[in-house]
Amino acid sequence: MENPLITQPLFYVGPVPITSAVLVTWGIMACLTGFSVWMSGRLRTTPDGLQSAVELLVDTIDGQIRDTMNRDPEPYRALIGTIFVFVLISNWSSLIPGIEPPTAHLETDAALALIVFVATVIYGVQAQGVKDYLAGFADPSWVMIPLNIVEQITRTFSLIVRLFGNVMSGVFVIGIVLSLAGLFLPIPLMALDLLTGAVQAYIFAVLATVFIGSAVEGGHATAKPATKEPTQ
Amino acid sequence: MSIDWWALGLQAINALVLVWILARYLFRPVSAIIAERKDAAQAELRRAAQAMEKAEAAKSAADAERAAFARELSDLQDKAQYEAEEIKRQMRLSAEQEAAQIRQDAAKAVDQMQKDARHQMGEEAATLAVQIARKLLTRLPQEAQVSEFSTGLAEALAALPDATRSRIGAKGPVAVRAPRALTPEETAKLRGDISGALERDVQVAITVDPSLIAGFELDAQTAKVRNHLAADLMQIKEELVRHA
Repeated sequence: MENPLITQPLFYVGPVPITSAVLVTWGIMACLTGFSVWMSGRLRTTPDGLQSAVELLVDTIDGQIRDTMNRDPEPYRALIGTIFVFVLISNWSSLIPGIEPPTAHLETDAALALIVFVATVIYGVQAQGVKDYLAGFADPSWVMIPLNIVEQITRTFSLIVRLFGNVMSGVFVIGIVLSLAGLFLPIPLMALDLLTGAVQAYIFAVLATVFIGSAVEGGHATAKPATKEPTQ
Repeated sequence: MSIDWWALGLQAINALVLVWILARYLFRPVSAIIAERKDAAQAELRRAAQAMEKAEAAKSAADAERAAFARELSDLQDKAQYEAEEIKRQMRLSAEQEAAQIRQDAAKAVDQMQKDARHQMGEEAATLAVQIARKLLTRLPQEAQVSEFSTGLAEALAALPDATRSRIGAKGPVAVRAPRALTPEETAKLRGDISGALERDVQVAITVDPSLIAGFELDAQTAKVRNHLAADLMQIKEELVRHA
C-alpha cells in the first residue's frame, strides 16, 4: 500500500509532473463537463426525473446560500455549488476500485481552500470596498488585527486539514482493512465512507459560504452568520 | 510529507476551470429554467387570479342580472295580477252593467208588455163597451134616432168657414146619411136646419145607414160633418184606448 501522504507522479507533461489526483480530477471534470453539456441541452420547462434531481440540487444550494448569507445566491452559486459537487464526487470516487479520491491528497484540499480564501477576499472587497474590508480586521478594536489575520489563515488551514484528514483516513483505513482481512469486509467501512464523504462535502461548502458571507457582511471572523458554523 | 506545488497549482486551475464550466453549462441554465418555470407559474397564477376575478365579476353580474330578472318577474307578476284584477273588475262591472241593462230592458219590455196588454185590454174593453153601447143604443125609440140631431148638425155646419160652407150643396143636393128612412116632417126639418146653417136653400139627398145608430152625417166633396152616435162612440173608444 502506498503512503497517502506521498504523491508519486504518474507521468510528466514537460516539466510538470502529473499525479493521480490531477488525473482523477481531470476525469471528474470531464464527466461533470459532459453531464452538464448534455443536461443543459435537454432542459425543459416540464422536467423529467433527472432534471428534477438536478434542479433540486441547485435549489438546495441556493437555499443554503440564502439562509446563510441572507443574500441573492446568484453571485455565489457557481463557486459554492462547484465546490460541493466536486468534493462530493471526489470523495465518492473512492468507491471505484483503483481510484484514489483527489481530496485524499493535500494539494487538492489546499487548492480548494486557497480558492475559498481568495474568493473571500474578492467578495469582501467587492461588497465593502478595500478600505472598509481592511477596517473590518480592526473590529472590534485594533488590538484584534493580528488575531483576525491569524484567524483568516488558520481557518483556511482548518478547511484543508479537516477535509484531508477525514477523506485520507477513510481511504487509509479501508486500505489497511482490505490488505489485512479480505474482499468483502471493508464494505461497511466503504458505506460509512459514503456518508463521511457527503458530510465533508456539505461541511466544506457551508464553511466556504459562511466565510464568504462573513466577509461580505463585514466584521470577518466576528460576524455572526444566519447558520451556525458546523464543526467536525 | 511534502507538498507538490505543481499539483497544487494544477488542482487550483482545475477547480477554477470546473467552476467556470459548471457555471456556464449547469448552474446558470438550471437556475434559468427554474426561474422561467417560476415566472410561468406566477403568470399562470396571475392569469388564474384574473380569471377568478373575471369569474367573480361575471358571477356578480349574473347575480345582479338574476336579481333584476327576479324583480322584473315580480313586477310583471304584480302588473299581470293588477291587470287581471282590473280586467276582472272591468268584466264584473261590464257584466253588472250588462245585467242591469238586461234587467232594465226586461223591465222595460215587461212594462211595455204590460202597457201593451193594458192597452189591448183597454182597447178590447173599449170595443166591448162600444159594442154594448151600440147594442143598447139600437134600442132607442125611432124618433130619438133623428130628433134634435139635425140641430147639432146645423150648428157644426155653421161653425165651418164661409168658403167651405159656400161650396157645400153648390152643385147639387147635399148628401146626408141617416140611421133610418126619414119621415117627410123629419126631412123638412133637416133641410130647414141645413139651409139655415148654410144661409141659403139647399136640397138634401138622404141615404139610410143603420151603422150611424142615431144622428146624421153630411158628406160633401169639401167636408164631412158628423153628428151621430156611431161617431161619438168611435171618439169615446179612441179616448178610452188612448187613456188605457
